[in-house]
Amino acid sequence: MIELRDLSYVRMGTSNLEEAESFATKCLGLQIGEQSGKALYLRSDDRAHTLCYFEGDPADQTVGFEVEDETRLNAAAATLDQLGHSVHAGTPTECALRKVKAFIGFKDPTGNQIELVVRPERSGKRYFASRDAGITGFSHVGLHTTDPARDEEFWTQVCNARVSDRIGDIALMRVNAIHHTIALAPGRGPGIHHVNHQVESNDDVLRSYYHLSGRRVPIVFGPGRHPTSGARFLYFQGPDGMVFEYSVGVDEIEDEETHRPRQFGFEPSSLCMWGAKSARPR
Amino acid sequence: MSAEKTSPRIPAIQLCYVRLAVSQPQAAATFATEILGLEHVPNKLEPFLYRSDSRFHTLCLSTAAAKSSIGIEINDEADLDRAAEALASAGLPAREATVDECAQRFVRRALIVADATGNEIDLVLRPAQSGRRYFPSRDAGVTGLQSVALRSRAINDDLKLWTILGARVTDRAGEVTYLGIDQKHHRVVLYPSDRAGLVYVSYGVESMDAVMQSNYFVQERQIKIVQGPGREPASGQIFLRFAGPEGYVFSYGYGLRDIEPSHRPRQFTADASSLCEWGSECTDVTELQPARAG
Repeated sequence: MIELRDLSYVRMGTSNLEEAESFATKCLGLQIGEQSGKALYLRSDDRAHTLCYFEGDPADQTVGFEVEDETRLNAAAATLDQLGHSVHAGTPTECALRKVKAFIGFKDPTGNQIELVVRPERSGKRYFASRDAGITGFSHVGLHTTDPARDEEFWTQVCNARVSDRIGDIALMRVNAIHHTIALAPGRGPGIHHVNHQVESNDDVLRSYYHLSGRRVPIVFGPGRHPTSGARFLYFQGPDGMVFEYSVGVDEIEDEETHRPRQFGFEPSSLCMWGAKSARPR
Repeated sequence: MSAEKTSPRIPAIQLCYVRLAVSQPQAAATFATEILGLEHVPNKLEPFLYRSDSRFHTLCLSTAAAKSSIGIEINDEADLDRAAEALASAGLPAREATVDECAQRFVRRALIVADATGNEIDLVLRPAQSGRRYFPSRDAGVTGLQSVALRSRAINDDLKLWTILGARVTDRAGEVTYLGIDQKHHRVVLYPSDRAGLVYVSYGVESMDAVMQSNYFVQERQIKIVQGPGREPASGQIFLRFAGPEGYVFSYGYGLRDIEPSHRPRQFTADASSLCEWGSECTDVTELQPARAG
């Protein structure tokens, strides 16, 4: 079994690096960790980076997960290879671009680009936000799925993810105590559905609602509250149509042994208990 | 010096009710139950009477009243008489309510007085409590009538009445003045204005969820949100202010802070962020805008 320890980063291509930088600092509120001509490394917590924009195709999106060590990384490569996934071992140059010791790349059954990494870099300097959004860290991703049941099986059987709750057939899965690290979302093809950052308080969610509205950032869902995780949330749209989420108050699954996934109906009130409706096209 | 005169007890006990002067009671009645979610109280005297908590009523829609008024419970007969004297010497004569007027207010005795601006205030004794628990018309999470905001032409002049009643200024935001009469941050707020009247009537709700659920509930019903969802820095409460019938504004509030005995009134700046720390703004009601508040 592939043991995912934590989420590490998201890498996304962008047609306009300047626009991405402006959004990331003035709207999202991340800190620029490092900037080269063709890539922008953004921090959200004590890690050296959790989001990287690079000059390229906006459809080129990758999610990185941390695994324990190189032995487990090699075992993961073998497992994936056996299952027929094409596995790419990161070259030293590619590792440097990701600020990791080693990594492998592959695609999940829907075709999402996934990387498993070893020893992602932390920063000695504390995180200092570019605006007072109250961000406490990069927390989870939504991944498109073309077949929820098949992908749930991949993440829970091949990898170590556990289902925390389901909305219809859509699984919210955890790899540690946090209610979910991977949320599947129905889509026509591969891609990141949303990128979540946690914020300090309810106040931060609502402050950002007014801050972003004032900057004409499209609010696509919320402010709202997920009945599944209990989190208060706000979804808004960034460059190249990518959706970002702020949330606070995600439950922790305290009893790993006895937790049973709850089944929520596939209806709007399962996504928001306050009554917000998502404006995202399906 | 008699013990009576040195009594530290505050004459004002609680905000008991709001009597709203309306011309179209049926529409207002529908709003009271279907939107606000209050419980209608069947009785022989007032056809449009509503509960929000254990009290017999906290809202009365009146077609007979010329202007809206609020009810403040006074500790006892002696305090009421003393308040009446003090008000008269301050140039604010109080009128003894008739037996019928008391009955319509569901109180044993009432003095009707107006502040310097002309806001009508009933000083009442023994307002009716209900034996039966409150059963709301919709699940809005209302916990009770919480506060009222009054328009004031001259804050300092209007404060005379409140000082006599024992209310104290807890905070100011620009010239907006918060008044406390019990352990809560405020029960009455005075907003600078050029006329008398209510700025809003606020009902407490049980959670932030309740405020936010009502935010979407009223939007879906095409009810105009006047301000919010927002959060008042002085009192800490999360609020949603929305348009009611006949130009009245209602508010839901959650998280109104208790006031510490050591609290000293703070002066907040006359900026929008002193009225809402989240950034909500009001475009319809001038009293709720920072320019006016300053």
